[in-house]
Amino acid sequence: MRQQHSTEDPRQAWAYVTPALAIVLLVALFPLAWTVWESLHQHDLRMPWLGRPFVGLANYGEILRDPRFWGALAHTAFFAVTSIALELVFGLFLALALNESFRGRGLVRAAVLIPWAIPTVVAALLWRFMFDSQAGIANAVLVRAGVLDEPIVWFIRAATAWVPVILADVWKTTPFVALLLLAGLQNIDRSLYEAAATDGAGPWWQLRHITLPLLAPAMLVVLIFRTLDAFRVFDLVYVLTGGGPGTSTEPISIYAFNAMLQNLEFGYGAALSVVIFLMTFGLAVLYIKGLRADLGGGR
Amino acid sequence: MHLLCAASVAGCDPRSRNGSGGSVVTFSGSALGTEGAVVRRQIARFMAQHPGLRVEIQPTPDDATQRHQLYVQWLNAHAGAPDILQLDVVWTPEFAAAGWIRALDRFAAPRDSFFPATVEANVWAGKLFAIPWFVDVGLLYRRTDLTPHAPTSMAELVQLAREGTIAPNGARYGIVWQGARYEGLVTVFLEYLGGFGGRIMTDDGRVVVDSPEAIRALTYMRDAIYGSRIAPQEVLTWHEEEARFAFQNGSAVFMRNWPYAYSLLATARDSRVAGKFAVAPMPAAPEGRPTAALGGAQLALNAYSRVPDSAYAVIAYLTAPAQMLERAEVVGQFPTRPALYDDPRLTSALDVPPADARRAIESATPRPVIPIWTQLSELLQIQLHRSLARQTSPDDALQTAARQMNALIERTRVRELMAGTVRADR
Repeated sequence: MRQQHSTEDPRQAWAYVTPALAIVLLVALFPLAWTVWESLHQHDLRMPWLGRPFVGLANYGEILRDPRFWGALAHTAFFAVTSIALELVFGLFLALALNESFRGRGLVRAAVLIPWAIPTVVAALLWRFMFDSQAGIANAVLVRAGVLDEPIVWFIRAATAWVPVILADVWKTTPFVALLLLAGLQNIDRSLYEAAATDGAGPWWQLRHITLPLLAPAMLVVLIFRTLDAFRVFDLVYVLTGGGPGTSTEPISIYAFNAMLQNLEFGYGAALSVVIFLMTFGLAVLYIKGLRADLGGGR
Repeated sequence: MHLLCAASVAGCDPRSRNGSGGSVVTFSGSALGTEGAVVRRQIARFMAQHPGLRVEIQPTPDDATQRHQLYVQWLNAHAGAPDILQLDVVWTPEFAAAGWIRALDRFAAPRDSFFPATVEANVWAGKLFAIPWFVDVGLLYRRTDLTPHAPTSMAELVQLAREGTIAPNGARYGIVWQGARYEGLVTVFLEYLGGFGGRIMTDDGRVVVDSPEAIRALTYMRDAIYGSRIAPQEVLTWHEEEARFAFQNGSAVFMRNWPYAYSLLATARDSRVAGKFAVAPMPAAPEGRPTAALGGAQLALNAYSRVPDSAYAVIAYLTAPAQMLERAEVVGQFPTRPALYDDPRLTSALDVPPADARRAIESATPRPVIPIWTQLSELLQIQLHRSLARQTSPDDALQTAARQMNALIERTRVRELMAGTVRADR
């Protein structure tokens, strides 16, 4: 058998991989190339009288001069940094707690994942109801606790509109972060803690000098997943604020969606999509490099 | 575009089901609930009268934005079906300029049988492109137990609203309207704008939404929220239904809304205001005139239709007086033919007194008749919302809006198109 395989015609090998290659080409590379080509044209479905002239990089130039794009980019960055920072902190606490042994730990570990399992749109609607100005539970609780004098309308100010958005994301994604960190915690050799304890090191010292450094690779994995996710945030904001008030909570994904699918500006929308793709791609490359250096240097 | 075509199943293969030899006309529009039932009934009657013709109903989303996207994709692909399109009032110039719908003058469509404002909204380059089917118009609802009469000026509106909230058993809010960032906000603004004597565009297509009158109108709306506080801050997140809920629960003295709310308020089992409200046109300041935003639906003929004559026969039938009366009776939509308002059958059909409806329709102002209205409106919506949320002053907001809107008009060469020097690419 083995001998037969080695004398096999390489053309047969190609025949085996061709379907897979064709699918990748068709569903990944072709749409991407088409989008890039489209982004070099002025093409607005709703203004056929302008035709579809080739305009080179003009759409990209317009993006650079577009204050709404820069605003959207800033909102995306703000959302990513704030939500990921909170998720890391809460996720770490949760992971440390779940790493201890206590009765019913398996059940608690499963229960913690529930928010993550709820579809984002459903979760977003839930939070929208909670922050509803009249009947919402957020206002009721805060007024009763004396934090607020009177109910506030969360969704009409940029600063307060961000609160439910960030909270919802933290609520939903912290379990996922905790799970990844928990896996990292379980890879740490128990004997390190035992050795530290015999040398008289307290829990705080152990956390700072053993747990956190050895958890760094897991944290990096969390950062990669979460940044890429946060960068593409769409459904949560779409349901909660719609990008408002004005455009002050609008992330780039909603802006691109608006241009492409609401306004049917195919050329400009395609250019926006390419820019988002390049930024996500760049982030991914950076992280992968960082991850390699980290894992390599750690050995 | 052909990819989109393949995805939209029925859009590209219009005549394959035509087995019987007669021609098939496809109608598309709102086909849900009672509205759908009326259309189906009327189309069945039409087919009974025209044995050689078959009319099929192709349901489209009820959400205007989604229906618009679908139509634009189909028409870009030059799809011949659906033959009949139900257009929102602001789409006609866009579709006409793009060459997607057919001018109806060769069918001798009777222009003067309809309200002038509804005709004006459907005329592009001097030609009529769609037949007004039913008309929507902004109305000022008021509580008759909390206000002695309808306000006659903008100042009196504030005063009556305030009195209605401090009266014993007074309502919680003075006035509620649609202030979320969407087209509805622009229609509300348009009414205040007209009331203060301003306009969005001049006849030669220049945006003048930064005029002193416009700034006064926006300032008035803002003061209603933060100054006199007759409007709750929540209106900035409200669409039609949130406003209706507030009014229906008895929480508001005045409400700006469309006619659909009337029958719900009058007949809903949980309505606390049944028998205690009336409608009037919006008031105006001394320098302006009462203005109502014009909405509603029109029927247009797909330019790529292969059966234009049969399709027009369906349009003519659906927009005939008898069918309009039936729609008024079943779904409460206002007919577009003024002659019907003297018809006693309309009085029994509509919940709103026809004279009130007619007065509001006669003060109705179409939004600018320009092909890129939706894009212009989005720019305006953002600035209006920013200013009402106190992120910018009314002057700054409206100056920015006017600058951006004029730049868009310049860039898209709409003025040349309107003057006929650029032809739509067919």
